[in-house]
Amino acid sequence: MTSSVHDVGAAASFQVGKPRRVEVQGRGFVVLNVGGAHFAARDVCPHQGARLSDGRCKGHVLAAAVGAPLAYHRGRALLQCPWHGWIFDLANGSCLTDPERARIRTYPVHVRGGRVFVDLA
Amino acid sequence: MAAAVLSAPAVAEAPSEPTALGVIDCDVHPYPNTIDTLKPFLSARWVQYIEQSGFAAPPGTRYPKGFELAARRDAWPPNGLRPGADPDFARAQLLDTWNLQYAVLVPLYGHGSVHNDDFAIALATAVNEWQTHDWLDSDPRWRGSIVVTPQLPEAAAQEIRRAAKDPRYVQVMLVVRGQAPYGKRHYHPIFEAACDAGLPVGIHFGGWGTNPITATGWPSYYLEDHTGMTQAFEAQVLSLVSEGVFEKFPDLRVALIEGGFAWLPPLMWRFDKNYKGLREEVPWLRKLPSEYILEHFRMTTQPMDEPPNPQHLLHILDMIGRDDFLMFATDYPHWDFDAPDRALPSVVRGEQRDKIMSLNAAAFYDFERA
Repeated sequence: MTSSVHDVGAAASFQVGKPRRVEVQGRGFVVLNVGGAHFAARDVCPHQGARLSDGRCKGHVLAAAVGAPLAYHRGRALLQCPWHGWIFDLANGSCLTDPERARIRTYPVHVRGGRVFVDLA
Repeated sequence: MAAAVLSAPAVAEAPSEPTALGVIDCDVHPYPNTIDTLKPFLSARWVQYIEQSGFAAPPGTRYPKGFELAARRDAWPPNGLRPGADPDFARAQLLDTWNLQYAVLVPLYGHGSVHNDDFAIALATAVNEWQTHDWLDSDPRWRGSIVVTPQLPEAAAQEIRRAAKDPRYVQVMLVVRGQAPYGKRHYHPIFEAACDAGLPVGIHFGGWGTNPITATGWPSYYLEDHTGMTQAFEAQVLSLVSEGVFEKFPDLRVALIEGGFAWLPPLMWRFDKNYKGLREEVPWLRKLPSEYILEHFRMTTQPMDEPPNPQHLLHILDMIGRDDFLMFATDYPHWDFDAPDRALPSVVRGEQRDKIMSLNAAAFYDFERA
């Protein structure tokens, strides 16, 4: 029986805030290290198929009200598609602006012994 | 060429059965016959100013209309007044002929282009007072729109609070081609006052001549100006949503009047698509732009969009997605008048037809306030 858990590389090779593409059994995944917490998702935007690993890790821009000072919160695993700018929350796969209809599949990630493992089950 | 036109398939609609509910007309234009019409509603200072200066009217359109004063040729009253200046004639030609339940007056007066602030404010108030005295008092089926000075938002808010005490006023009125997009914070006192009064804001076709209808300069013809007016409506929808006006004023409702409606679905598609990538610019928004549009806006039907295949109209209504979204309007006394019994194609039937012809307006405007 083949395990669904795959070693995708040394933890040190995943820089904070830098999405990186890994390939497992011919399929591409994006792995993102946000402050030491790792996230993984299919490396394809559901909109038009761009590689999310070419995108940018984002903070979250918030406004308490119209005209209020804009805040920029870091810490969430937000990844912006490099083509049309859709932003996905890798914690749950939902698109920030259309969470019901636009989602990417995410996978559990574990770091053990300095290695990063993605569970594709 | 004329023969070719005459031999073309007839596309005119046959008269439809009158709705038992009574049609509601959301766009009728009363006009002061001359500046003298407004003098009883102006202070001595402004009457003197008018008489000394020879002021006749604010600057009008830069495009000669296809018809004098943009009016139906049969809308000139026999007593010599200009079209839209005789409430009795309008009552007979519009309200009685079509047995209208209500008709919303939308005065188009160019006080927005008057640079003297105090005079502009006085003219707006005078138009409202004249509307009350000459029109609303003349027939219980008329309902009014409060005209304001959008170039002076605080004064506009003050006028809304004053005029809204008369429950026959059912909306605040702006023209679509303003000096700047209406979502900008400068204009928010107008929306705040409208919400405080419990009134929607109507944004009507036209403007005061300071901006071309295109983003590439002044076109040559009224044909272009009239057809292209949807650009200004689109700009106002984009602005009001993007600037977060509906987050700041969640009770605000807006009627887009005389802007057509078939352009709305693709605008919503484009708006939603771009929002998904550009949300950070407008982080106060909490849902898709189309959701704000469908919740807060309504549109009047005139000038009716007329696809060659009337069935396509049903597709457009389906794309809009709400059957409470459109409200019938004639635009009387203008040349592009939509007839209550023919403008809406017969493919629109039953409850959907009743909603467009009367029920949607009855739900949107509080006609029973009065």
